[in-house]
Amino acid sequence: MRIAVCMKAVVDSQARIELDGDGNLRQDQLRFEVNEYDLYAVEEAIRLAESDEGHVTVISAGTADAVQGLRKGLAMGAADAIHVDCDPDDLDASGVAAVLAAALHDGGYDLVLAGVESDDLGGSQVGVLLAEALGYASTTLVVGTNEPVDGAMQVRRELEGGEHANVQVQFPAVLTIQSGINEPRYPSLKGIMAAKRKDLAVKGLADLGFDGAPARRVESLGLTIPPPRELARMLEGGAEETAAELVRILREEEKAL
Amino acid sequence: MSRSIWIVAEHQDDNLHTGAAELAGAARSVGDHVAAVVCCEAGSTVPAQAAPFVDQVLVIENAALSGYTAGLWAQGIVGLAKESAPAAILLPHAPLGRDLAPLLAARLDAGLLTDCLELQWEEGLVGLRSVHRRKLVSRERVATPIAIATCQRGAFAASPAGDAAAIETASVAIDDTAARTRLLSMERAEVGEGSITEAEIVVAGGRGLGDAEKFALVQELADAVGGVMGASRPVVDQGWVPHDRQIGSSGVTVRPRLYFALGISGAVQHVVGMRESDVIVAINKDPKAPIFEYAHYGIADDVFKVVPAVIANLNS
Ligand SMILES: Cc1cc2nc3c(=O)[nH]c(=O)nc-3n(C[C@H](O)[C@H](O)[C@H](O)COP(=O)(O)OP(=O)(O)OC[C@H]3O[C@@H](n4cnc5c(N)ncnc54)[C@H](O)[C@@H]3O)c2cc1C
Ligand SMILES: Nc1ncnc2c1ncn2[C@@H]1O[C@H](COP(=O)(O)O)[C@@H](O)[C@H]1O
Repeated sequence: MRIAVCMKAVVDSQARIELDGDGNLRQDQLRFEVNEYDLYAVEEAIRLAESDEGHVTVISAGTADAVQGLRKGLAMGAADAIHVDCDPDDLDASGVAAVLAAALHDGGYDLVLAGVESDDLGGSQVGVLLAEALGYASTTLVVGTNEPVDGAMQVRRELEGGEHANVQVQFPAVLTIQSGINEPRYPSLKGIMAAKRKDLAVKGLADLGFDGAPARRVESLGLTIPPPRELARMLEGGAEETAAELVRILREEEKAL
Repeated sequence: MSRSIWIVAEHQDDNLHTGAAELAGAARSVGDHVAAVVCCEAGSTVPAQAAPFVDQVLVIENAALSGYTAGLWAQGIVGLAKESAPAAILLPHAPLGRDLAPLLAARLDAGLLTDCLELQWEEGLVGLRSVHRRKLVSRERVATPIAIATCQRGAFAASPAGDAAAIETASVAIDDTAARTRLLSMERAEVGEGSITEAEIVVAGGRGLGDAEKFALVQELADAVGGVMGASRPVVDQGWVPHDRQIGSSGVTVRPRLYFALGISGAVQHVVGMRESDVIVAINKDPKAPIFEYAHYGIADDVFKVVPAVIANLNS
């Protein structure tokens, strides 16, 4: 089985998010990490590949910040990596899907795994758009996979309120992977060393047949800081004081205890 | 010229989802004609349930549409949209919309805005979306003739029920041999005994507790206040507590008299499951954590300092 996994470099959850005078995100304070959902996808791909001597390719479209994530994927056990070198600010979700599809389309993959959404921009659309661009089947919010049988796989899809659907998906297919499906392994020292010798191909948009970035279907009209919502009554002081004050309020004012 | 906005009616079996009225409200905020598209089997009562909230109901009927199958629903809706060209198609930002909206967008060459909090019309559909963990709002506009958007649950006022709209059965052919995904079965949620949905006091802990052992602090506070322990999703994902404790969109919704959120950041998928609680107390060491926007009382400090002090105070 050949499996590709999409990995996105997202803005670190601890990074300082501020706007500059022109209303643009201040880039100098940003740090990047691999999108958490993509690590579940890499883990699932490696497990599926392990059980049938498969091959896992990790792919990321973005600036040099994407490479660190790909190296992590290789260290976890992927066989090779593709870095589509581009500025993601030039692309909307359909553009990202188009460039990923161009890089993957002749790879003969049975499965492509993506995360359910990106932690920073929360688009939750690249996986399915990629499936459509490749002409693959797709299903989303996958929390369980089964062994493939006759070119198809039964997966467990998470719905709301604790419900699930069991869905049969024909290969080739894109699955978007939801947290809870597995526990991603930490790369071993051996894995990290081995990753250094693995193939990491770099492709520009021109190499993939694009003349500039694909046309946008969605345009950005700007970022703003949301108006402050009503905030909690914050209790100030050391832990002893705030704890005592909280218990007093809950007992005497709210009569909740 | 009137601007027609479609909503995709969400239903399970023969029950229209309550979110449909909200979606109709979202459609009214940008359109002057609102139609609900219903994919169902012949004889379903879902079209009639949708009729009071919209101006028109368009029914795509086929035996193969009894359960949700992405490819078949997309076939029907895309076929209809290519004929009638609505200005926009709205879906809930829920499992249905996450699965179906990008399929529609791809097949209609349409731009897609997901998880919108507000919609506007400015030479095209404009959506306001929260990004970077709610620290910023992004305004985005769809640049294609048809726009697709998914709307956050709870973000739009529901359209009031009015006179029942006309119900029309659309003639679109569905080729069910073309489906490459197939619904095999549904697993309903199991409701545990003495479930947390009935508790008067819920003490919920999040990833901020650190590990399974340290998570015991949450149960200690629950015992001290006579409440029931609950958790955010990562705690359940990592197996620190069983799934029936998960609060939020993919877990349970609780509405206790008193809710404690310990080491929980306040992601929207968690908040939808607890924001209706009468009194909400949040303890989080990050003073900018979004959970404080939903809490009535907040302490910006380490749970391992504050919670033992709270327990000591309760016992004294
Ligand atoms: C489709 C979908 C469905 C989902 N369904 C759910 C759901 O049903 N329920 C749910 O909860 N989530 C759900 N999620 C996940 C959700 O998006 C968040 O990832 C999750 O709620 C975050 O959990 P958390 O707040 O515990 O962890 P984090 O976001 O990691 O937050 C941990 C918090 O702990 C604080 N902290 C750390 N150490 C301490 C300390 N010592 N003292 C005090 N504070 C500390 C940090 O400041 C931080 O704010 C869903 C996501 C998706 C995409
Ligand atoms: N630039 C990218 N490179 C590789 N994969 C991506 C990229 N953007 C998004 N993805 C994949 O698509 C998933 C959903 O992203 P999004 O639609 O942006 O929320 C992510 O979890 C990744 O698996």
